Amino acid sequence: MTQIPIDLHPDDEVVAEFNSATTVRTWYHYVLLIGAALFAAVSVGFVGTIFWSSLPVWLHHGVTLLTGTGWIGPAGPFGGVPMITGTLETSIIALALAVVIGLGTSIAIVFFIPRRIRNVVATLVELLAAVPSVVYGIWGLIVIAPWMAVTVDPWLNSWPFAKVIFGNPGQQFGGSLLLASVVLGIMILPTFVAISREVISVVPQDLIEASLSLGATRWQVIRNIVLPTAKIGLYGATFLSLARATGETIAVALVAGGVANAQFHLLYPGTSIAAWIALTFGESQGNEIAALMALGVLLMLLNFGFSLISRALVNRQRKLLAIV
Amino acid sequence: MSDIVELEDSMESGHEMRDEIRRISHRTHARRVAVSRTMVALCSVALLIAAVPLVFLLWELIKQGAPQLNKAFFTTLPSTPTLIAPNATGGVSNAIVGTIALTIYASILAIPLGVLVGVYLAETESKMATSLRIIAQTMAGAPSILMGLFAFSFVVHDLNIGFSAIAGSFALAVLMLPVIVISSEIAIRNVPNSLREAGLALGAKPHKVSMRIVLPTALSGIVTGTLLAISRAVGETAPVLLVIGGGFINAWQPFNPVSALPLAIYQGARSQWPSQRAQVWGIALVLVAFVFVLSLTARIWATRKQQVRN
Amino acid sequence: MADIQSKTETAESTSRGPIAMQLRDVAVSFHGRTAVRNCTFDVAKNRVTSLIGPSGSGKTTLLRALNRLHDLTPGAKVTGSILLEGVDIYRGDLTVTELRTRVGMVFQRPNPFPTMSIYDNAVSGLRFNGIKKKALLDEAAESSLRSAALWDSVSSRLKVPASNLSGGEQQRLCIARALALDPEVLLMDEPTSALDPVATLRIEELMTSLKSRVTVIIVTHNMQQAARISDDCAFLLMGEDRAGELIEFDTTEKIFNNPDDSRTLDYTLGRFG
Repeated sequence: MTQIPIDLHPDDEVVAEFNSATTVRTWYHYVLLIGAALFAAVSVGFVGTIFWSSLPVWLHHGVTLLTGTGWIGPAGPFGGVPMITGTLETSIIALALAVVIGLGTSIAIVFFIPRRIRNVVATLVELLAAVPSVVYGIWGLIVIAPWMAVTVDPWLNSWPFAKVIFGNPGQQFGGSLLLASVVLGIMILPTFVAISREVISVVPQDLIEASLSLGATRWQVIRNIVLPTAKIGLYGATFLSLARATGETIAVALVAGGVANAQFHLLYPGTSIAAWIALTFGESQGNEIAALMALGVLLMLLNFGFSLISRALVNRQRKLLAIV
Repeated sequence: MSDIVELEDSMESGHEMRDEIRRISHRTHARRVAVSRTMVALCSVALLIAAVPLVFLLWELIKQGAPQLNKAFFTTLPSTPTLIAPNATGGVSNAIVGTIALTIYASILAIPLGVLVGVYLAETESKMATSLRIIAQTMAGAPSILMGLFAFSFVVHDLNIGFSAIAGSFALAVLMLPVIVISSEIAIRNVPNSLREAGLALGAKPHKVSMRIVLPTALSGIVTGTLLAISRAVGETAPVLLVIGGGFINAWQPFNPVSALPLAIYQGARSQWPSQRAQVWGIALVLVAFVFVLSLTARIWATRKQQVRN
Repeated sequence: MADIQSKTETAESTSRGPIAMQLRDVAVSFHGRTAVRNCTFDVAKNRVTSLIGPSGSGKTTLLRALNRLHDLTPGAKVTGSILLEGVDIYRGDLTVTELRTRVGMVFQRPNPFPTMSIYDNAVSGLRFNGIKKKALLDEAAESSLRSAALWDSVSSRLKVPASNLSGGEQQRLCIARALALDPEVLLMDEPTSALDPVATLRIEELMTSLKSRVTVIIVTHNMQQAARISDDCAFLLMGEDRAGELIEFDTTEKIFNNPDDSRTLDYTLGRFG
């Protein structure tokens, strides 16, 4: 997953002449319009096709999809609750990991790292984002899972409420929700760092100098001035990372265990919406495909929702700093 | 100026307050500095933690992947191990050919249209343009498996082409398109308006200015965005998993099933044969190397062009 | 050169009163390149001292050395000695934090903290210094807002966000914020250059009344302002090697009416900007 260029600067004004200089529509304008129309068509087709393919399921089995806990192919019933809970569990834990580590990382990159090293460090974190999902998947499965079984799981099982949170101690499976959450956290970390770095570094230098001049320590400046000023943008970063987390497919498919069990025991296997589609699609026919398409619609809603919220927040942050 | 008059009244209390402020400041100083130092250290630790996975991953990749790479790996077709010959995994030439074919077809579909829409968005101020921009940004973050579902529904099913390279390329093209649109728009907007104005002042028509002056200047930014889009598409499994069929021959014809590197990794990882699972590291190493080269090239290109401009 | 040095040791400087800060041969350089040098003068207590000169002469660079803001800048080096009440602020037994509670700063563009209310802005300095007692915070807030001639207009809306205020009011809030810690010295970096004439006038009146409470050191590129409000004046000029240096330091009256150096005269007569 690579980073798309992120543009947090106000749009440059397009020279007015471009629109008013000529009302004569040349072939150039028509070509552009056709391109735009084509793009619009692809986007509409994207949403429409998946929705249309899933329509039968929504009409006849919609309730089951949203409330049922068992998924039995090829004829049903198709219960989507395990996928939904799995998606939410893994995404939220991954988000927590990514935000905690990511915030500290961004702060360190912006404020504590000397300028010369800063580019190298930033490149390192960005390269994390370039690693394909499937590679994270095999790494998680082959390297981290055994390591966790030996190191982390026993430690977790010694917690007082271990059985409640983590399930039966001592049992080992090929994959678990916890493993998926950890791998997912590593994967969305670069997203969070990229955006939070940007919003933190555009907090006006003025404010930082003013607080230092009042006797603030470095941490006081960061905690009381920089972070609150960047707060809205940081929420934007959080939502975008959440959006990415919900959409990660292959890594989760490889390490979550692939079992459609709706439960909250993190050391047990589970699945997510995207992973389930990937795992089940190959062998499915007819109705089951429509049901998977329906899951796809759910995924789209979740992902687009978080994406749009993030965009709105980042825009608001931009406007706030324009006033400052 | 009553405010100023009041000023004189408030001056008498000056020093007791000052002394108390200084006293408390002095008393809390050590703690405040200690907290600051601790948090600074914690943030630096966070940075280290963030960098560690990449280092470990790369190390593992090289350690387990390098031994897998030999001439046969790159040039022979895969084979299935048997009980007699458990290590007869063959090579991954089909996946390499497939990835190259998919990338080329997807680029043909996505790049021209993507740049075109990027130009449109950069030069048009309208509700349609704003909506398209939001759509592009949202699609850029969409889960890649949805592209696979789209390609399945449309290409494999509706167009009745079946599992094929073209279906996979379609899915990848839909994946690449928003990224190219966004980065092209940014690249074109970054061209200084003074260049446009100079062109217009010389009497050139707006569309000639765009084509002859703006686009060439924005070219490096567009190339960067395209490289990033390609590097992302090369590594994606989910969109191709559903639609390319996973052929076992060196196929590149658009209407036949093909394989791809990420797919080979995915299949190999779930295989029951340890030899196939081990080979997966070699494929992963090749894939990651390819993706890194593309990403780093894009980044270096971008920063160098930035320096030239400055 | 020798003239300037002997001047500061004559009876004239001590007749100006007790000394708040002493500068001896202060120079600031960035990555080896000198930005300002040769700064030697005494800042007298409870007077307004202005640093004047054309842009690039190093006035702001010098000012920022006085509260050690250059500590932030990698590659910055401050040589010479700066004494606050006899203690070297760089090498003496004085922590940076303590220095900054005794030497406050107001900046060119009003910069109240945008996420805080008027009250929180005013007491932010105290909070940074570990003070939590509400009674003390309230007292400091009222005292400093009165000193900044802002109390009457904001006392009824202290919890309102600071960004609601006009530019001039915001700058006065920044002055209050700096005054809340009751510093001995207040550094002001072109505090009115971003404000309209009416707001500028109000702040100039404020500065004149403030000097009974703090020592004011102000950087201004506006000569007339310096002539209006300051008691003492330091004139800096950029030299051939693009480094600023102190040309002359004396009472404002002398600098503007009868300066020793011809370059000072040229500047005050507006022969160059």
